[in-house]
Order: sequence, then structure tokens, then C-alpha cells
Amino acid sequence: MPKYLCLQRSLPGGQAHGDKPSPAQMQAMYTKFNEWREKFQNNLVDLGGKLGAGRLAAPEPPPDGPLIEVKELVGGYMIVSAASLDEAIEVARGCPGLVRPGSGVEVIEIHAPG
Amino acid sequence: MTSRLGDNFFRHEYGRLVSMLVRRVGIRHLEAVEDAVQAALLAAVESWPKSAVPENPSAWLYRVAHNHVAGELRRQIRHGELAGQHARAAMDSTNDAPGALLTGDVRDDLLRMLFASCDDAIPIESQLVLALKTLCGFDIREIAERLFTTEANVYKRLGRARARLREAPLELVDLTNEQLASRLAAVQAILYSLFTEGYLSSHAEGAIRRELCDEARRLAAVLAEHPLGATPETFALLALMHLHCARMPARQDGSGGLLLLEEQDRSLWDQEAVQIGLCWLARAAEGDVFSRYHAEAGIAAEHCLAPSFSETRWDRIVECYALLERLAPSALHTLNRAVAVAEWRGPAHGLAVIEGLEPPSWLLGSYLWSAVLADLHGRSGHAELAAQYRDAALRSAPCQAVRTTLERRLRAR
Repeated sequence: MPKYLCLQRSLPGGQAHGDKPSPAQMQAMYTKFNEWREKFQNNLVDLGGKLGAGRLAAPEPPPDGPLIEVKELVGGYMIVSAASLDEAIEVARGCPGLVRPGSGVEVIEIHAPG
Repeated sequence: MTSRLGDNFFRHEYGRLVSMLVRRVGIRHLEAVEDAVQAALLAAVESWPKSAVPENPSAWLYRVAHNHVAGELRRQIRHGELAGQHARAAMDSTNDAPGALLTGDVRDDLLRMLFASCDDAIPIESQLVLALKTLCGFDIREIAERLFTTEANVYKRLGRARARLREAPLELVDLTNEQLASRLAAVQAILYSLFTEGYLSSHAEGAIRRELCDEARRLAAVLAEHPLGATPETFALLALMHLHCARMPARQDGSGGLLLLEEQDRSLWDQEAVQIGLCWLARAAEGDVFSRYHAEAGIAAEHCLAPSFSETRWDRIVECYALLERLAPSALHTLNRAVAVAEWRGPAHGLAVIEGLEPPSWLLGSYLWSAVLADLHGRSGHAELAAQYRDAALRSAPCQAVRTTLERRLRAR
């Protein structure tokens, strides 16, 4: 099955501040995450993770003007395999916490070699 | 692979971790500790589903939280936010290897936190909020929901409590025996308060009401098992908690309506909780102490032991209420005694108890007062008075469920 790169990205309209879930909410998140992982275990290639510090490597001289770095938009990634983009989206959507006000996930097909 | 963590794992770990770290770095750093614990729990939520739950989840969390708070304190020192000797003391303790932790120490730390919270310079409402936040792991929104108040109010109460703890951090070793004893009474009072918030709550969600009662029982059990807290009053408190909880399953009908005691299906009562309650009551009876908790536990026990409403030993209940009134004078206790006397000797005697009682305005305005008077006058044949009080009761009913129950009860007689 083809592989898809899933990038968690910020969207306009969310809260300015990060989430501060309560312990009880974290318990619910934890349970839901495990349920999701079990349900789609055959699709999860790489659970990936959150993204941290980084830097851009660009040719010299660097281009003019302000440049938005992807890491300002994208907070994390994972790789799933699925029969189609629609199915991949279903897997990604089901991951708790990814799709909510202020956050979405872009699911992008990875071209296989050959 | 299903999670083998308990249903309240995250919330209870919050309480444990905060207590342990507060002991390590000092209660004046409570906020930094809470932030660190929050970060550790979040890290667990994010990494454990991916890389498996660690062998010792609690130790993992402690390590992460400990590192976090150490980092924060170092940052505060660097930025001159932390005065010399406090900084050094805090850093000294964070340099200890977390090593042999998580033994019986945890329960000591929980109690230490509980005792520190019950400082009489902190208003009772703030003590309760502090306990709910730091020991039970509820957040501000959840506390506001459970106490039927606003988030702003909870935030303010928490602020007051934290400010007091910063300016006068408690060292238990410095307390005299007398001070320890009075602090213990305050701790018992807060646990009682926590319990009644759940037991008397009019929150729609039974699970939420139940959860508060369970938290009170949990903390009271920790108190009872420690030499500092193993006193007859604590045992009696535990007894009353279990005996009240035993009867909770029968209080509502299928559609959420409230059932009167005489309407309740006693087969739904939790007999295991009754037995546990009676065991605690037996332990509470060793020795000469008789506290208000003993009186309340005695009343609850009489109900739990009665096979039916009509077989209830009302004379004993009246006796307990009389003792309760002496130990904790309150018009509410007098009112309850009047109800019990009416069941024992008839409504006229019940009315006689209330005669001449000048209730405080909070009780006068409460539906309970009007409902009892409506009931007693109705049963005594004073139709007009009964109707007046009935109207007042229905007007002051706090919600539809109560109103429906009142209509049923006050019409039947």
C-alpha cells in the first residue's frame, strides 16, 4: 500500500496559547490514543512525533525578503500506509488531538520509487 | 495492547508527584512543582503510547518532573528571581539522586501536603480548592464545576492559598503537639467538606458526585493509616463516609428523580460499603472520644442497619442528633432532630422541637425548612399552615428534581 506523510499544522482560529489539559483530560486523551493506535495498527508505519528546534539550509547568497519557516506551521509528523488518500485521511483524522480548532493535518502521498 | 494504568492514574499521580516534589524543594515552589508535574504527565501521554509504558510508570514521571522543576529553579536563580538561601536550599535537594523513592514515603508526603494546606490563615473555601487542585489533581475549570462557582472565584481562592503557603511554609517538625492536634481537626474538617460536596451535590452527573466522595474516602484512609491521623475522630469520619456512600445507589430513580428515604429500594444499598463503615465505626468506638463525626456515623449506621423505613430505630437516631447538636450546634441539626422525633413519636412532638427555634436566615430561606414544616403541619392536621409552607418550599426549591419530589411528598399526606 502507498505511504502518506501526515503533517500536523496550525490553522487560523485556534487558541493563542497552547493546550493545558487537566490530568483527567490527559487520561481521556491517553485512552483514546491507545484505542486509535490499536484500531489502525496495520496502517501506522511511523508514529513520528512532535518537532523541535531546527534550521534552514539554503544556498548562498540567501534569498531576499521574509521567509516563513515550515516549522512555524508544522508541529509534528507521522507516516501511515493506506490503500488511498481517503483512507489515509481517515486514519489521520482519527488520531486524537490532531484535528481541532487551530490545528489540522495535511496528508500527502509519498511517491514510491519506480 | 490495552492500557494497564488505573482509571484515575493521571489525576492521582498528579497528587502524588506534587506532594513528593513539594517535600523535596519546599512548598514555596508549589507553582513551579505543579507546572513540572503537568509537563511530565503530558510527556507521558505523548510518548508512552508510542514507546510502551515503562516498567515503573511512577518513577518515570517523578524523574521527568524532578528534572523539570530543577531546571526551572536554576532558571530562576540565573535570573535573580530566587533569593540566596532559598535558592541554595532548593537546589541542594534537587541535586539528590531520585534514587530510593516511591516507598511508603508517598503517603507521608500526601499527608504533609494535606496538613500544610489546612493552615487556619487560609480561608476554608481556599483550603478546599487547594486540596482539590494539589491532591486530587482537578484543574480550575473542573473545580469550579464541582463547587458550583466561577473559574475566577476558584482562581482567586487558589491564589490566596498559594500566597499564604509562600509566606509561611509549614515545617511539621516545628509544630507543637497542640498545634498538630488542631491542624488534624482542620484536616478532618476539610475531608468532611470534600465529602459533603460530593454527597450533597446537586450536580447532574452521578459519576462526578461519586468521584468527590471517593476522593474524600481515599485521603481519609491515608490519614487513618498514619500514626498522626489514626484517631477515633478520623475512624468515625471514615465510617460516616462509607455508610453514606453505601446508600447513594438508591437515592435516584431511573430518570434521575430524587427518592425519599422511605421510597428507596434498600436492596440497592452497597452492603460491602456498609460493612466497611461498621468496621471503622467499631474502631472509632474504642476509647472515650465522641465527636460530631461519631454522632453522624451513628445516624447513618442506624439507617443502614434498618431492614425497612418502618423498622428504623428512630429513638437512637434522635439521641444521636441530640449529641450532634451539642457538639456542633446548628439549626440544621435541630431541624433534622425534629424530623426524627416526628418519626419516633408523631408530628406534634416534631413540631415541639422546632417551636421557639429562631432559624438563621439562610435556613429560613431554604426549601428544607419550609418542607419540614409543611410536612409536620400537614400530618398534624393544620391544613392551612401546611399549604402556606408547601408553597414556600416549592418556591425555594433549587431544581426541578427537588420540586418534583416535594410535590409528591407534600401532597401524599
